[in-house]
Amino acid sequence: MSDIITVKNLVEVYSDGTKAVDDISFSVAEGEFFGFLGPNGAGKSTTIKILTTLLRKTSGTVTVAGFDVEKQAAAIRRIIGVQSQDTTVDGDLTGRENIMLQGHFHQMKTDEIKKRVNELLKLVGLEEAAEKRARNYSGGMKKRLDLATALVHKPKILFLDEPTTGLDPQSRSAIWTYLEKLNREEGITIFLTTQYLEEADKLCKRLSIIDKGKIVASGSPAELKREIGADSIRISLENCKKDNAKAKELIKTLNDVNEIIDSEECLTVFAKNAGLLIADIVRALDSSDIRIASVTFSSPSLDDVFIKHTGKRIRTEELVKAPSAMLGGRR
Amino acid sequence: MTLLSDTRYVFIRYMRKLVRNPILLFFSLFQPILFLALFTQLLGRLSNFPGVLPVGVSYLEFAAAGILLQNAFGSALQSGNSIVADIDSGFLHKMLVTPMSRPAILLGRLASDAFRVVVQTAIILALAYGIGAAENSPFTVNTGVIGILLIFFTIAFFGLAWSGISLALGMKTRSAETVFAIGGVITFPLLFLSSALLPINFLPGWVQTVSKFNPVSYAVDACRVLMINGYDWGTILPAWGVIGLVAVITLGATLYQFRKVVS
Repeated sequence: MSDIITVKNLVEVYSDGTKAVDDISFSVAEGEFFGFLGPNGAGKSTTIKILTTLLRKTSGTVTVAGFDVEKQAAAIRRIIGVQSQDTTVDGDLTGRENIMLQGHFHQMKTDEIKKRVNELLKLVGLEEAAEKRARNYSGGMKKRLDLATALVHKPKILFLDEPTTGLDPQSRSAIWTYLEKLNREEGITIFLTTQYLEEADKLCKRLSIIDKGKIVASGSPAELKREIGADSIRISLENCKKDNAKAKELIKTLNDVNEIIDSEECLTVFAKNAGLLIADIVRALDSSDIRIASVTFSSPSLDDVFIKHTGKRIRTEELVKAPSAMLGGRR
Repeated sequence: MTLLSDTRYVFIRYMRKLVRNPILLFFSLFQPILFLALFTQLLGRLSNFPGVLPVGVSYLEFAAAGILLQNAFGSALQSGNSIVADIDSGFLHKMLVTPMSRPAILLGRLASDAFRVVVQTAIILALAYGIGAAENSPFTVNTGVIGILLIFFTIAFFGLAWSGISLALGMKTRSAETVFAIGGVITFPLLFLSSALLPINFLPGWVQTVSKFNPVSYAVDACRVLMINGYDWGTILPAWGVIGLVAVITLGATLYQFRKVVS
């Protein structure tokens, strides 16, 4: 399969000197479900803004469907669908009107849009709420409507910037179902950013882990996990500030330990047969009077991949927002 | 032709938003009514003093033009809020990732501003007619229907020039509060240091001087002669010239800020 997105040595430096994206290169194949996994401020949104023609890059080469992202921006806009991090439905318009409007912005014929709107309302399960104003939708419904507006012109590539941030688990899994269906049945290439390990693991065929503007690892979730080649034990100490360093030294002396990473709130120990090691660790710490708050054992997860490459756990920050109230106050 | 059709859809969106926000709609319509009632009641007795107003002109007839302008100010200032809201909510970006015409985003907003101010102007004129009839000092536009259309044009043109200030400020500061604060500070002196609400020869000397350089005076005088005197092109054309000049500056600033936001 040919590459539909290619990014080479992309750099974005903001006017205040912040290097939001620091020399990243990657490509996405046509029909692929590709993800960017990283914490807030890693450079995910910045990359999406550049790919969707909203932001000029500082340097590097970026093409989408063979078009240069700056010289041929107009051609790109015809074939991409974008769902931004903020839910951008117009609360004063009904669900149907929101999708219609987006169709008009894509210069589609009115008859064509009307037909498409019905399909989309069905796809995202908003048929019954179609004539209600989006202001009265729940958070999950708004996200689904937003997704529908991004799909009105049958885009070849769909860009989703944290499509499920702030959603309850039920709404999240509903969105996941639509996205998998779109990718599988309609062959839409999907580029998704997320700070949820579970989301990247479940949806993405391939992903890049991004931290502080740099790509630190790439591959399929299975490949990335295999790379670790070890299970992990996560140990939280009651007094981690005081005891972490000492505990690390103690555990290091045990057999079969591959690597220990101190991410402040806990120690993560990578080892081949980690299950057998738990008793040794507990004994060693106990005999040195280090009190353990909790111990968890797991087979390799994307969380471990993230810790291994960045030395810290991914921080998921739930954004608590009330956009409708804010807008109301402004008028 | 995408510019025209895109502008139309942006226009329709803003009209829907206006109509569906009853409080906003109410105040948009109530504000001009309030101004008219307030000023004619406060200052109506001016016509009892000989030499203050032109002979045979009631304060209602005199002040109507000024109130039209005051209303245009208020409406124009809301334009900036709308763009701030669209930037904040991300809706602007949503429009920008589509192939739609960029200028249409601004033109659609400006068209909805113009439409709104024309409707408000019609309401004020109708109400002035009603008050005039009730107080037995008839209010009419001497130049008839064409004169009314020219008044609509002048007010809408002035409103657009002023929308430019709030749009540019909105995009520059990204803050609705700032738009209102700065807008309010600019508006009031301009209105009171002009021929809008009081006869020019009734004002202190320095105010008369300021008034001569005040675009508001030109716009008011043009509307006023169309109501009271007739097609006095020597007043009307310079007014359009002055408004045009203001529009070039404010809409130029808007375009400049818009380019920065868009790129």
